[in-house]
Amino acid sequence: MAHSLASLELLAQSLMLRSSFLLTGLVLVLEAQPLHAAAETPKLHHFLSTYCNDCHGAERQKGDRRFDQLELPASKVDTLIDIKDIVDQINLGEMPPKKSKQPSSEEQKAFIDQITAALTQGRQALASTGGSTVLRRLNRHEYLHTISDLFSLNMAALDLTTKFPRDQSAEHMENLGDVLQTSGYLLDQYLDAADAVVEKVFAQQKPVKEEAWHFTKNFRSDLKRKEKDYNNAHLLVEECMDSDKHTAGFGVIEDFVNGVPADGFYEVLVLVKAMNREHPYDPKWFGTDPREPFRLGIVPGDAKAGPLDLPQPQQPMLAEVALDDGEAKWFTMKIWLDAGHTPRFVFPNGPEDARGTWFKIAEQHKDLWDQFMDEDDKVKGKIGIVAARQITLHVHKHPHIRIDEVKIRGPIAETWPPASQQAVLGKEAFLPGKVRERLQSFADCAYRRKATEDEMNRLMAVADQRIQQGYSPLEGFKAALKAVLCSPGFVYLSQETQEGSNKLSSRALASRLSYFLWSTMPDAELMSQDLTKPEALLSQIRRMLLDKRSDALVAGFLDSWLNLRNLGGMPPDRGEFEEYYSKGFQEAFKTETRMFMRDLIDRDASLVNFLNSDYSFLNQPLATHYELGELGDPTRAHEFRRVSFKTDKRGGLLGMGSVLTITANGIETSPVTRGVFLLENILGTPPPPPPDDVPAIDPDVRGAKSIRELLSKHRESPNCYGCHQKIDPLGFALENFDAIGDWRPRIGKKKIGSSGELPSGEKFEDVAGLKKILVQRKDLFARMFTDRLLTYACGRRMEALDEATIERIVADLPKKQYGLRSLIEAVVNSEPFLSR
Amino acid sequence: MTMQTSPLATSNRRFFLRATGISMALPLFESIGGRVFGQNAAVGSLAGKLVNAERPLRMVCIGNLLGFYPPAFFPTKTGAAYELPESIEALQAHQRNFTLYSGLDHGIKGGHFAMSSFLSGVKTSDAKGMPEGNITVDQRAAETLGGATRFPSLTLGSESGIHGGCLMSWTRSGTRVPPITRPRELFQKLFINEDASSLAASMDRLDVKGSILDAVTGDAKSLQRHLGQRDKEKLDEYFTSVRDVEKQIELRRKWASVPKPDPKMKEPKNTDFVSDLPVMYDLIALALQTDSTRIATLEIGGDFEASAFGLNGGYHGLSHHGQRPDAIKGLIKMERYQVEQFARFLAKLKSIEDGAGTLLDHSMVLFGSGMGNANSHTNNNLPIILAGGGFKHGEHKTYPAKGQGRQMLCNLYLSMLQRFGAEVDTFGTSNGTLTGLA
Repeated sequence: MAHSLASLELLAQSLMLRSSFLLTGLVLVLEAQPLHAAAETPKLHHFLSTYCNDCHGAERQKGDRRFDQLELPASKVDTLIDIKDIVDQINLGEMPPKKSKQPSSEEQKAFIDQITAALTQGRQALASTGGSTVLRRLNRHEYLHTISDLFSLNMAALDLTTKFPRDQSAEHMENLGDVLQTSGYLLDQYLDAADAVVEKVFAQQKPVKEEAWHFTKNFRSDLKRKEKDYNNAHLLVEECMDSDKHTAGFGVIEDFVNGVPADGFYEVLVLVKAMNREHPYDPKWFGTDPREPFRLGIVPGDAKAGPLDLPQPQQPMLAEVALDDGEAKWFTMKIWLDAGHTPRFVFPNGPEDARGTWFKIAEQHKDLWDQFMDEDDKVKGKIGIVAARQITLHVHKHPHIRIDEVKIRGPIAETWPPASQQAVLGKEAFLPGKVRERLQSFADCAYRRKATEDEMNRLMAVADQRIQQGYSPLEGFKAALKAVLCSPGFVYLSQETQEGSNKLSSRALASRLSYFLWSTMPDAELMSQDLTKPEALLSQIRRMLLDKRSDALVAGFLDSWLNLRNLGGMPPDRGEFEEYYSKGFQEAFKTETRMFMRDLIDRDASLVNFLNSDYSFLNQPLATHYELGELGDPTRAHEFRRVSFKTDKRGGLLGMGSVLTITANGIETSPVTRGVFLLENILGTPPPPPPDDVPAIDPDVRGAKSIRELLSKHRESPNCYGCHQKIDPLGFALENFDAIGDWRPRIGKKKIGSSGELPSGEKFEDVAGLKKILVQRKDLFARMFTDRLLTYACGRRMEALDEATIERIVADLPKKQYGLRSLIEAVVNSEPFLSR
Repeated sequence: MTMQTSPLATSNRRFFLRATGISMALPLFESIGGRVFGQNAAVGSLAGKLVNAERPLRMVCIGNLLGFYPPAFFPTKTGAAYELPESIEALQAHQRNFTLYSGLDHGIKGGHFAMSSFLSGVKTSDAKGMPEGNITVDQRAAETLGGATRFPSLTLGSESGIHGGCLMSWTRSGTRVPPITRPRELFQKLFINEDASSLAASMDRLDVKGSILDAVTGDAKSLQRHLGQRDKEKLDEYFTSVRDVEKQIELRRKWASVPKPDPKMKEPKNTDFVSDLPVMYDLIALALQTDSTRIATLEIGGDFEASAFGLNGGYHGLSHHGQRPDAIKGLIKMERYQVEQFARFLAKLKSIEDGAGTLLDHSMVLFGSGMGNANSHTNNNLPIILAGGGFKHGEHKTYPAKGQGRQMLCNLYLSMLQRFGAEVDTFGTSNGTLTGLA
């Protein structure tokens, strides 16, 4: 009944938007009756008046609390605070006080259930946006993709948004209209970013002459030190990119630190050799598999962004090749570089810790110490890092990549004018007479609709003002382009509806669809369709899902639903989990989960595979991590491929490193955290928050108590047990996985028990048993997934009114074998998606 | 100040702002004698006549991400002449210049998720229900200054960290103030004048921005006509943003022609956050001394890495010590360093003359955290130290957690604001000024 009242309110609100005269009538009617229509409300008041209001009512207000006039259903923040207070006090057993009349345990349980429901509904009511998406601005990702597409600009190494304030999020969704905010800081950044991108696009006013560079000497492997390696004749790369001490992971061309003169494609030729892939040392020193060929990669470096021998924020892998042993060979790679960036060489599957190995190698050659130790070392009686390195080089048996020569040529002539200028100007060069025409064309694209006469006049005013100040017509034009990129027409998605209806117009639908499936602006084909026609809409959905741009849906949705964007937010401990870094698990975990979802879409396969599967997508490092053995050819170790397995420890989300890491804190695991995650994101039944006064567990991991013992308090109190019997077992099922998803049969000497029992009475022995139960509950999962997908697609949270839609979609799923692509189609065709 | 009906509206709103000068109290530029406190003067000497002999108050707020290990922070004795526990030993020399508080907090929960409430008392999720949102004490103080200084306030330190980091400083409209993260950038902002052509280019960019803002405001007004109520409210954020940027531009324009002070120090290089911490403090002291700003906030967050101390495990990992002695030892090492740097800062402020007293006398410095006990993720009994500002100090003051004598941390902030000169009688969740603070 509380539902239907909420529906009435929502209905009233949506009616408000269309006819204000109806509003007054409806509101008066609603206000005339006290809002006690909900069946629970009288029961709640009955409990309160029986057990609470004597001390917290009209006559006395002990502790400044009064409940006899509690506003139910709740719609004010203050009421929610009161309700939370009541819930907590009763859950903790503090109230009613021992001397007073006590409710029976059935009465108490019923009351707690009802009042907790009132709290949840009250929170939803407060967050309600009346069943409509609120004017929604582009978030950072969407902004970046849009700029890239608008200007056909390669932005792999360019992030215009580094100073943007963080996007506001709720439930891990970063694209909710009512939650995202615009601030002066953000607008200032939009102005700066617009300036930067327009200036960059028009920087080249005449073709840049191709240049060539040739580097054969003056190579220094470590920019900090002065001694000569190989007489500076070779550039060495000796470790992976993300080692702990970042000593020798980047090969920088000393004479080219200021980088290339202009944006463009460059040909990089390297004469390079893999040295000592077979070596006499213990392979454990390096953490690499000697059977894998060395891989050489190139990442960009920006001397202005920081030291070139350390990781930089923007360092996409621009090219990667496998090296042969034998003689040094020439490899050619064509890469995009931004002006001012220099190519840096990296060793993606290189040793974990070069520094450590130098010391170990030096230990084996004490006979050389005298020759290489410097004064300080001799005084200390210990070999220092410089000497250790020199001994290592002298002995020359350690694995490393050796580069002998580098040739760079570019920018390689492509089209003139550059692609990004053509994106704005068309095929012709800039003509002062065509300013308005080009501006109209650009604005139409950027605003995702035709720019109006007034808007064009305002833009021309910006251009004219510039020209009046004495600047060229091109400068005027550029200023107007910048204005387009800051205008609300660009920044916000359109809310345009069809005449006399709440349904989105075709072009508003084009934007919403495009940002859902591609996280970027609609292309010309999408804009040209009448998407209010179901066949056209379906055809476009299918085209868009086949397009590579839909990878953005997979990444964006997983980042939101499973919070994968925060993977690494609690960085796993370097000491215990070194392989997370040296084997690149953070990227690998994300890749695995993304490929898994991508595959379900491509095959329209069942989303129940998320709950349990006998396959996943792995490279060799992941396969090793998951104890799945060798995948085959070591030369392909870095490649991701579909792997089937027989073990039931892995499979589905619950076996994936991404989920297991995001639910831990980088050091230890908590069954409560994992249990809550599963309830929220797999079952869709989030538990209410714990009471405020529970003494927080001050974790004592000195081995004395197992986590099960520590959490046993949950079982002792009947009130705590109410929620925790739902949370804890799910988390305990995963206790065999450590903080980065490695399987552990025991902690210290204690064997881990992962058995448990759900409130329904269903028992499981281990995570495999739990997964079987989850598969039986697949409709719960499907419901939650549909809710999340709708939220992400519409840019608003789903509310009571939307439940019917979700139920209908889920009811239809079995007909399509729960196929994920079919679900996406159903979401797009749903009322919430098609309406404002 | 509505723009709609002004005859100037269609052409140039910025002109309107300039002509009336409503939005800020502009400093007096007309005569050299009108210069306030050492603008355009080498540090330590003053140009021209002073406007008056009194010095304004300054406010510095320093917070960290993971609190302090309580047994090594809170003294056992209360009152004066208490023994300083291990983590705060470095403050021995300044014991008479600060007060250490036990028992103060905001009465909220959330562990890392409550960190953003440290300087406001209000969690971001509760901000909509509060009359002033979750504005933080430093921003509230900045509001009272208008354009009297080049920078209304300076927010510095780590941009991020666990669950977003400290997220310390928030404006009235619920926006987090992004910090300046590195000393070189801060130094340039404070002390590097642009050369003539750069300055001309900057001014020119401001012109373009202004003209863009005029155009987009027109666009927003025209969009507004087609929106429903909720969407109109959302679009209001855009209008507010335009006004905020215009104010910023005005401020920049006004101060562009005023040369920045000469700090008499070389431009620092950026190394890592831990090594750069003393440099950040030095720059804060200089900024206060040269009146470039009167308010500074420093977030010691995610970049404060354990590896800089030769420790394994990560700062967050260590804070979850689980009672392991080696983890606690590592944690204390990191915390002692923070306190040492703070003590060094206090010494610096003490050494700078500021009219009839020292810079410390005229600067209230808050040092602490929104995290009470990181091992158990609680936010009660926060570590709080208040130094300087002309208050009476020297004691360890405790307040009960419940009952009659309980004091909200916002009571302290209210006292600070009033001392600062703000005419307020509430702040955040205050229920009065802090008893026992003189």
